[in-house]
Amino acid sequence: MAMMKNITIGQYIPGESLVHRLDPRTKILATFLFIALLFLVNTFTGYGLSALLLFLIVVLSRIPVKYVLRGIRPLMFIIVLTLCLHFFMTDGRVIFKIWFVKLTYEGLIRGLMMVSRLILLMIGSSLMTLTTSPILLTDGIESLLKPFKVVGVPAHELAMMMTIALRFIPTLVEETEKIMKAQMARGADFESGNIFQRAKSLIPILIPLFVSAFRRADELAIAMEARGYRGGEGRTRFRVLKFTYRDFVALVFVAAFVVVVGIYF
Amino acid sequence: MKTTRVVRIGLFACLTVLGALISFPTPLSVVPVSLQTPCTLSAGFVLGPKDGAISQLLYLLVGAVGLPVFAGQTGGIGVLVGPTAGFLWGFVLSAALTGLLNRFFRPQKVTGIFLCLIAGMLVIYISGAVGLMTVMEYSLIQAIVSGVFPFVLADFIKLLAAAYLINRLGKAKILSAAS
Repeated sequence: MAMMKNITIGQYIPGESLVHRLDPRTKILATFLFIALLFLVNTFTGYGLSALLLFLIVVLSRIPVKYVLRGIRPLMFIIVLTLCLHFFMTDGRVIFKIWFVKLTYEGLIRGLMMVSRLILLMIGSSLMTLTTSPILLTDGIESLLKPFKVVGVPAHELAMMMTIALRFIPTLVEETEKIMKAQMARGADFESGNIFQRAKSLIPILIPLFVSAFRRADELAIAMEARGYRGGEGRTRFRVLKFTYRDFVALVFVAAFVVVVGIYF
Repeated sequence: MKTTRVVRIGLFACLTVLGALISFPTPLSVVPVSLQTPCTLSAGFVLGPKDGAISQLLYLLVGAVGLPVFAGQTGGIGVLVGPTAGFLWGFVLSAALTGLLNRFFRPQKVTGIFLCLIAGMLVIYISGAVGLMTVMEYSLIQAIVSGVFPFVLADFIKLLAAAYLINRLGKAKILSAAS
């Protein structure tokens, strides 16, 4: 049974570079623009130019390239699968044929396109999480969702719930480990038996975990209200987000790039 | 929104994240089985359709800001628009659906709960296949062969675990229908 610790920092690599210091909102918007670009572009020139933009940002962020490339590793399987599926299962002009396996020109192009899109997508989006801490991103999401309050999106509440979730992950990880050890000490066996027994053996971990999480939730709610929490109205903040001229320049640059490359390629 | 509701949804999202962090090796599949699916499937039962869906949305957001909480310990916004994105968004839909089914049928026995959960799981599969078809331009057959078949057996265990879990939670009186 495996369990991870220290995960709340996410993929964030602390730094002082230009990209690190940008407002989280700028980075979120720029990432969305970039993702939109990848779905608009359908030529290899377009993908090449997008890759160039990413390269520029990686250089500016001074993040070691190996961390950037690490995002692709979990995708190796799906990359190979996609290449195979498109290479050998697309109809079109046949390049070569062995028995019933045939490689077509159309399949080759389509497979390579899909894989370039996928790789750029993963690198592009991991740049945001590599240069911004989860808490700052949460603040950014709250601020960006605020205009949607008029259509009923509870921006502040969502951010509060997310902060609670992030805050309680380490606490509940510790709790789970205690529960597992306690159940093992009572002779619980998680790793043998048939499927039904295995499914049932998970219950002694999950039930105490759920019950204790809900007890914690009720205590936390009382504690928050006792300290005067009454939602987002009139709340003041410890961390205040600042949108500076640097953010403006960065956002305009990315937007212009996306429009030009998106239209022409 | 009342404080208790905010906190409960937040902690349930946290529970789902935790489920994703606990994984067991199984003889049935290469990928280790995590407890995330049982947590996702019980969200609708425990919190009701709307709050259950919000808790799963939060799970996705926690992953989006960079925590490695998705399958294979991946994270980041890219996963939410990547090839497996359909499955992830399916969690939100499935929590809403199982919540509604619970509201209408109030299943008490493990078999009844199990049937509701199968409906929830089907939603995840459908949404996942649609995701593979749009993002990676797979055909329907390609999507089913690569995205559904390899996981059916392992998911069967998770569905069973979730059904037992919900049954016991009902007895412990922490389901939305009970409160």
